[in-house]
Amino acid sequence: MILTPKILARLVALVVIGVLLQVTFFSRVALFHVSPDVLPALIVSLGLLGGSMTGAVSGFSAGLLLNCLLIAPLGGGSLVLMGTGYLAGLFRERFEITSRLLPPILIALFTLFAELGFGAVELALGVDSSISALVVRDMLVKSVFAFFLGWPIYLGVKRLLRPAIVEDPERRRGRRPTVVGA
Amino acid sequence: MYRKQVRRRRAVLALLVVSGFVLLTITYGRGSNGLQSGVSAVFSPVESVSDRALKPARDLVNWFDKTFDARGENSKLHTELEAARELGVGAQAAIAENRELRKLLKLDEGGAIPSGYTPVTGQVIARSSTEWTSDVMIDAGSGDGVKVGDPVVNGDGLVGSVTAATGSSAKVTLIADHSSGVSAKVVPGGNQGVIKPSLGDPGDLILDFIDSTKRVGVGQAVVTAGWSSRGIASGYPPNLPIGEVTDAPLIEQEAEQQVHVRPYADLRNLDLVQVLTGGWRG
Repeated sequence: MILTPKILARLVALVVIGVLLQVTFFSRVALFHVSPDVLPALIVSLGLLGGSMTGAVSGFSAGLLLNCLLIAPLGGGSLVLMGTGYLAGLFRERFEITSRLLPPILIALFTLFAELGFGAVELALGVDSSISALVVRDMLVKSVFAFFLGWPIYLGVKRLLRPAIVEDPERRRGRRPTVVGA
Repeated sequence: MYRKQVRRRRAVLALLVVSGFVLLTITYGRGSNGLQSGVSAVFSPVESVSDRALKPARDLVNWFDKTFDARGENSKLHTELEAARELGVGAQAAIAENRELRKLLKLDEGGAIPSGYTPVTGQVIARSSTEWTSDVMIDAGSGDGVKVGDPVVNGDGLVGSVTAATGSSAKVTLIADHSSGVSAKVVPGGNQGVIKPSLGDPGDLILDFIDSTKRVGVGQAVVTAGWSSRGIASGYPPNLPIGEVTDAPLIEQEAEQQVHVRPYADLRNLDLVQVLTGGWRG
């Protein structure tokens, strides 16, 4: 990703708006008793489009802001979302995204990974109560939501960051040449 | 050039990982810190505006969720109606018992505010995003007299307690959060225990450590015990309604019994809450 001040400002705005929307809207609505989590979808989109460093730094920042707004221990959310963004970016650097279905599928899988990560952090810090099997159901339903919500999020992020995205040279070569005067 | 770039990326990644662990170590188990207070002060008004602006959209999505629920419950309710007709006489007794319970709980007409406490109304402006924690943020903070440890109720009953407060906002840890534990009693009967959540299912609380020799029945009310002894006291005043017993399996040869409790308050869908400030804490 080519980082210019304008692109950086857009990235910051995306992360801030994403976190605000998550805590004020998505966390407070429920379908089938489950609230969607769009933050992993946003961070995975940034990772898939911008690479591992963009994914990692965006994830860390989003987690930090989320923990600040919820007055939760800092660092837990940052580590999970940073790992998610980094892995998504690594995928982009190692493999080619050839199918249009691949981004939403990856977003769903990485959302499941992030939810497991949030759970692992909570378990590591200590959980004093019994754990209902519904947690597993909720995580799976969140991944399904992420599949459907991930699609527009990915396309929106792609459109917003289009000038900065480094495209694959092979794909660029495969494009039909512009014919002058046609 | 490429190696330099790889080294720089690794360094950034290592820095982020170390920062994450350091932040977690420093801030775990503490209330709000300077950074959080600052961020909260900046974003609280934005969250309030965003909360109000998005309310119609939120209500629409939640309406779909409730409609799906209502369709599923329709057939179940038909079966329950038949059973309820048979229990008509029992219901009359339950109404009388309810009047008695209301008297016992000292519920006033508007809600469930015990004497000596000053209620501060707060609007929920944010909610935790994972199933692993059950916290909400409200737009009332230490500037409004809210302190850490204050109990929080809504019109239906106990919701949770304040676990962190900044000048303009406060974090309320719900009774469905894994870190929550409320000393409670079953009424009538007075059988006491501790209300713990079942993580991931805010509609099902577990009243643990209750004496199995005393029988607890389905439908009985559960209220806060509000004990105090030698200068220490429960964080919750007595007789705040928590929920009703939905399942009370009697396991033989067990000295302590566990019963399932459905909270009166809809913990998934909170909007306005009241923080009970002041009051005696032992």
